[in-house]
Amino acid sequence: MSTLEADAMREITYCDALREALREEMLRDDRVFLLGEDVGKHWHGAFKVSRGLAEEFGEERVRDTPISESAIVGAAIGAAITGMRPIAEIMFGDLSTLAMDQIANQAAKIRYMFGGQTAVPMVVRMPFGAGASVAAHHSQSLEAWFMHVPGLLVAVPSTPYDAKGLLKTAIRNDNPVMFFEHKLLYGMKGSVPEDEYLVPFGEADVKRSGKDVTIVATLFMVHKALAAAEALAKDGVSVEVIDPRTLTPLDTETIVNSVKKTGRVVIVTEGCRTAGVGAEVAAILAEEAIDYLDAPIKRVAEPDTPIPFSPVLENFVIPDEKKIIKAVKDVL
Amino acid sequence: MVTKILMPRLSLTMATGLVSTWYKKEGDAVVKGEPLVEVDTEKVVYDVESPADGVLQKIVASEGEEVPVAGVLGLVTVEDEVLPEGAVTPEASAPPRERVLASPAAKRLAREHDIDLTALTATVSGRITAEDVQRYLSQAKAVPKVKEIMPLTSIQKVAAERVSASYRGTPHCTMTMEVNMSNAIKRSKTSSVSYTALLAKLVATALTEHPLMNSTFNGNQIKVFEEVNMGVAVATEKGLVVPVMHNADEKSLQDVSSTLRNLVQRARQGKLVKEDMSGGTFTITNLGMFGVDTFTPIINPPEAAILGVGRIVEKPVVVEGKITIEPMAQLSLSFDHRIVDGAPAASFLSRVKELLENALRGG
Amino acid sequence: METYPLLEKEKLKELYRKMLEIRRFEDTVFELFGKNLIPGTIHLYAGEEAVAVGVCANLRKDDYITSTHRGHGHCIAKGAQLKRIMAEIFGKKTGYCKGKGGSMHIADFSVGMLGATAVVGAGIPIATGAGLSIKLRGTDQAAACFFGDGASNQGTFHEGINLAATWSLPVIYVCENNLYAMGTSQSAVMRIKDVADRASSYGIPGVTVDGNDVLAVYNAANEAIKRARAGKGPTLLECKTYRRRGHSRFDPATYRPEEEAEAWLKRDPLPRFRTQLLETAALTLEEITRVEEAVSAAVEAAVQFAMESPYPTPEEALDDVYA
Repeated sequence: MSTLEADAMREITYCDALREALREEMLRDDRVFLLGEDVGKHWHGAFKVSRGLAEEFGEERVRDTPISESAIVGAAIGAAITGMRPIAEIMFGDLSTLAMDQIANQAAKIRYMFGGQTAVPMVVRMPFGAGASVAAHHSQSLEAWFMHVPGLLVAVPSTPYDAKGLLKTAIRNDNPVMFFEHKLLYGMKGSVPEDEYLVPFGEADVKRSGKDVTIVATLFMVHKALAAAEALAKDGVSVEVIDPRTLTPLDTETIVNSVKKTGRVVIVTEGCRTAGVGAEVAAILAEEAIDYLDAPIKRVAEPDTPIPFSPVLENFVIPDEKKIIKAVKDVL
Repeated sequence: MVTKILMPRLSLTMATGLVSTWYKKEGDAVVKGEPLVEVDTEKVVYDVESPADGVLQKIVASEGEEVPVAGVLGLVTVEDEVLPEGAVTPEASAPPRERVLASPAAKRLAREHDIDLTALTATVSGRITAEDVQRYLSQAKAVPKVKEIMPLTSIQKVAAERVSASYRGTPHCTMTMEVNMSNAIKRSKTSSVSYTALLAKLVATALTEHPLMNSTFNGNQIKVFEEVNMGVAVATEKGLVVPVMHNADEKSLQDVSSTLRNLVQRARQGKLVKEDMSGGTFTITNLGMFGVDTFTPIINPPEAAILGVGRIVEKPVVVEGKITIEPMAQLSLSFDHRIVDGAPAASFLSRVKELLENALRGG
Repeated sequence: METYPLLEKEKLKELYRKMLEIRRFEDTVFELFGKNLIPGTIHLYAGEEAVAVGVCANLRKDDYITSTHRGHGHCIAKGAQLKRIMAEIFGKKTGYCKGKGGSMHIADFSVGMLGATAVVGAGIPIATGAGLSIKLRGTDQAAACFFGDGASNQGTFHEGINLAATWSLPVIYVCENNLYAMGTSQSAVMRIKDVADRASSYGIPGVTVDGNDVLAVYNAANEAIKRARAGKGPTLLECKTYRRRGHSRFDPATYRPEEEAEAWLKRDPLPRFRTQLLETAALTLEEITRVEEAVSAAVEAAVQFAMESPYPTPEEALDDVYA
């Protein structure tokens, strides 16, 4: 079910949706616990995702940690391979760099290099993304790095509905899942059913159907793409917006089929353009759909710069509706 | 010293020629003026001669290769010397193949439906898109599948260009007339000449009497030729060629016959030289031997008219109030309507008919 | 010469047998590597046997250990099968990791051996996590984390031990101080002599023992593990020891002063313990000989198993990436 088609559901924020997912899964499975910097009762996470959870589940299962990203992820790994299902929060995605060995060399490879003897069922939640004027160390979009590491799964929810459904799936999944939460989405409201549901990994969502151009967009960019599509519709251009929802596994089938239908594609992501998510999607399309393309594949992404502080500078580098519209018109 | 053997320009329109046979191999001694290589160009087969005395040092263009005019065919050196670097670089290269700017989707569709993308124009953007191909497909619903592609010989290429130019540029009018061939047959037998030779002789005579039929349309004037140079269409393996019998009107029937026999033979052997094929003022094309009754021939430019001849067939005809069986044939005259109207053309055709039906006399 | 009347004869025999297994295993690996039967490289545990054996003799099958690139000894000490370790080192399908890990990445989850990581210090926070898991599940298990003196300079040492100390997790951190981080001596990279001194930073006990004395290691680990099981938190146990050979198979260890090497080799834990067993009459010569014969046979069988085992099919490279 697509979020946007859902009706007769209550509206809650992305942040609340994530909290519901955590709470439901903690109630469902005693092995699930949270650890991270300031996730407990004093702060409830930098973006308040874990509000009320320490109070409800106790400090044993909602654990404030020292500022030790390697230990947070390493401890999650150790717990995961000995029977627990930890959810580690890295306060900002940028800080995953501090735990990179634990994520990329340990969590990702333990199952493989030990010949499948164990699984590593854990989630690393990471607020991330640009647009809040918090500059180069709190604004990056590093999803592409983790796509490049075999053994990791990468989830990128763009709506409250997807956020809840994907997080629940991530917690139940037996692999290490890098879970990206865009900080500008936390306050965004959307329809979320009262009843329990899961959003499966590897199933893209067609956020808007169209026939002239396909836009593949992730996270906050999904919303900018939808706005661009709305504006383009007034000019008679019918845009299809595809949200992959998980980058690993990537639903190439839905993307390829959409491009086979439209013959034109624009890929919109945050994160630097070079070797980014868009580059991978473009490569897949070149391999699997080249004979259906009527125009060059276009990427709209951040230029290859760090994220600057001043809003004037920051807005210049983040993809926006105007850049998306221009890219669509370029391929028409 | 290295002397290059170059592809000669053998006509104004010639762009390339085909190397058909090398008479010498690398290392052979050659004498200036000695034929070295046979080149098949447009309607002419031509022997390229050695440009110098010495040794055929290198064959650059091998048999079957198409070489542009002034392209290097080979190298002759004075002695058996070592070739300097770069000596074999051709001076002219074939024109680059035309690249069609089309999207991958358009190319796929074109591949699937055997469409030549050069026939399409881009409408949506700078490149031909799938939409353009779809539109083209819906316009030309049933495009037959291609079984094989046969490149045109240079003779065919020239013929195609000339025929199209003539058909597009000359307002054709064709009239037919039936001829009783009984006397022509008798004459052909008694003189031992072919119908075509007899026809060529008689048509030449008629042309001297109707000079407008022996002319050319040239912008705002008509040029009437002094000579009657009779072209005769000959089918060969490589295509249709039209050798020309110069001053046919001045030749005796026997001369016409022997000249024609010689021309036809050389045409079939591909041995016609440039002079044999130029300067025609009128053309006869006989399809009678193929069982054709009548057809509308296309004028061989820049001539004013062409006469088509059908087969001789025995028919009941009324002669002086009685039905008799006579050998009849159809003559089809296509003429440039800018030069003559129907009446003078009919007058010329009547005269040809008359000459044929009285063929036992004269010549 | 100290005596340890508390240990039963069978336990002493077991200690000797395990240490000898490791020694014979490593000597054999060294030899086979020289014959080009083993791909890659190897880091031998020979010389450090007393540490792994002394610690693991205190652990139950359901307790955990984490290990390092120099990990064969840890596996053997924790009860992994020689033949499957050897097969893994050979890159065979019957190895513990089906040929995907090799010498530096052996694990046997069935005996609580959580695997060897070849990133120096990376196993420390993972052992912390195992301790956290034990605590959350409320069992009386314990975890032992093996690492070298080099790893004690990694950030993960600080982060991992501090976290375990903060949460009083049942983990003992065993620093195998063999004095060299590859070719760099401890004195070149640390101002302190004893890594155990660092324990005070985390508010936990730090103990330094002779790592070539298996009974000393056993006793110190015994106390630390009791403490851990009792919920009193981690201990940093430093065991001073020495590699019999270089860092890896390619290293002749010329950076170690001859006198130093000689002095340490005199304190080789194996002959030392053997003498001790005979002198204290804990075991007879006959009993010791029987152990030695059994160990030789076991190692030989392991080699034969590894040699005769098939290689994985190439396409198996694609398996086990995801659960």
